Amino acid sequence: MHKIESNNVNFYYGENHALRDISLSMKENTVTALIGPSGCGKSTYLRLLNRMNDLIDGTKMTGSIVIDGTDIYGKNTNVDNLRKNVGMVFQKPNPFPKTIFENVAYGLRVNGITDKNEIEERVVTTIEQVALWDEVKDKLKKSAFELSGGQQQRLCIARALAIKPSILLMDEPTSALDPISTSKIEELIYELKNKYTIVIVTHNMQQAGRVSDTTAFFYMGELIEYDKTKTIFTKPAIKQTEDYITGRFG
Amino acid sequence: MASHLETELGKLRSIIIKIGGLAESQVAEAVKAVLSEPVLESKEVKKTENKIDKLDVKIDDICQSVFALQQPVASDLRFIISAMQISREIERIGDLSMSIIKLSKSIKEKHELILKFDITDIVRGVEDITVKTNECFLNMDENTIEEIFTLNTDIKSKSSDAIDNIIGEMKNNSKTVVSGTNLIIALKHFERIADHSTNVAESVYFMINAKTIKHEKFTDKK
Repeated sequence: MHKIESNNVNFYYGENHALRDISLSMKENTVTALIGPSGCGKSTYLRLLNRMNDLIDGTKMTGSIVIDGTDIYGKNTNVDNLRKNVGMVFQKPNPFPKTIFENVAYGLRVNGITDKNEIEERVVTTIEQVALWDEVKDKLKKSAFELSGGQQQRLCIARALAIKPSILLMDEPTSALDPISTSKIEELIYELKNKYTIVIVTHNMQQAGRVSDTTAFFYMGELIEYDKTKTIFTKPAIKQTEDYITGRFG
Repeated sequence: MASHLETELGKLRSIIIKIGGLAESQVAEAVKAVLSEPVLESKEVKKTENKIDKLDVKIDDICQSVFALQQPVASDLRFIISAMQISREIERIGDLSMSIIKLSKSIKEKHELILKFDITDIVRGVEDITVKTNECFLNMDENTIEEIFTLNTDIKSKSSDAIDNIIGEMKNNSKTVVSGTNLIIALKHFERIADHSTNVAESVYFMINAKTIKHEKFTDKK
């Protein structure tokens, strides 16, 4: 069974048919990269996986998305629980205006965890998990805004991981970062896939190559090709994919 | 946290060391075969040859992935380029060793010819050069590269003399023609093995110095 299964997904922003018949399955503990030019629907698809698009008025979705065997658009789905299971990291680091410690602890408290020891343990564990501990262990009470962009983004990943999701969605997580911070996040993604299923939207094709196991190429709301990343980058089946990854698009 | 690229490069390095070791053992078998020493069963030699071929394909596969997915630069890029070249050279060394082992069965008076024209010295030299090539890759040692170039020149000169002598012997004694011809072919194969080993050394030099020394004398390029 696949971790995530999308079947004939269509999505509309009002009259705009943004996604057309997307069927895409992702295995557990893999990294899937979604690539394609701006406006191709990759971020829209990503946001469907934790129902973030529900927050936008005038949208409509058809088809089904099944996570762990349950249709997440089914009547009985608890969206809060879904978003606990499907964490998200955004393009620009967006730490809360709180201390480094509180940025991670906040989500735990919101989710009903009150035991101080447990909170402390989970904060430390997740900050270690994102390889940030050595850099922040002496300044946990300082504001998260004092951290560099790359550190802030790793803190946001820690914040997402603290509530123990099994899926992590990343929407261009390194586009606002310098090459060193980017490389740290990429290595982190590579490490995290042992425990999580990761879906990443990226405009950087080299990044898709470096971090992902499978790659999906979207164009004008359609899924053009989906295969192992190595196949996509060495012998794509569809000419449009080849043109896009070789920069001959258009 | 070791980088993914580093992990792939480490894997590649281990495979090259392994394939180099296998080729070295095939050359040793070829040397034994020519010198009429006891050799492994042909089944075993064939098995090693198959392993070399598979590793050669695996190296190509890893290199292709690293190029396509990791965009190596600088020393990493040189390493990948060299790995592809080295694997090609080593695979040829394996093939040539196999040919020598097959040929050696048709060299009936081989021992006599071999003793007469110092063939032992030449083929031991080739065995030595393959060992040194593997050491050279393992230690990234420029001093070994120079030694390999010197050894190759020495092998070529000795082999050329030996071939002249064998031809002379064949002219005088027609009974030696079949064995002599096969021995000449075997010697040419050994020379090629030494050349391929030298090419591996050139690739190592490129890896270390980012400088190509193909088709030139080592001392001219240094």
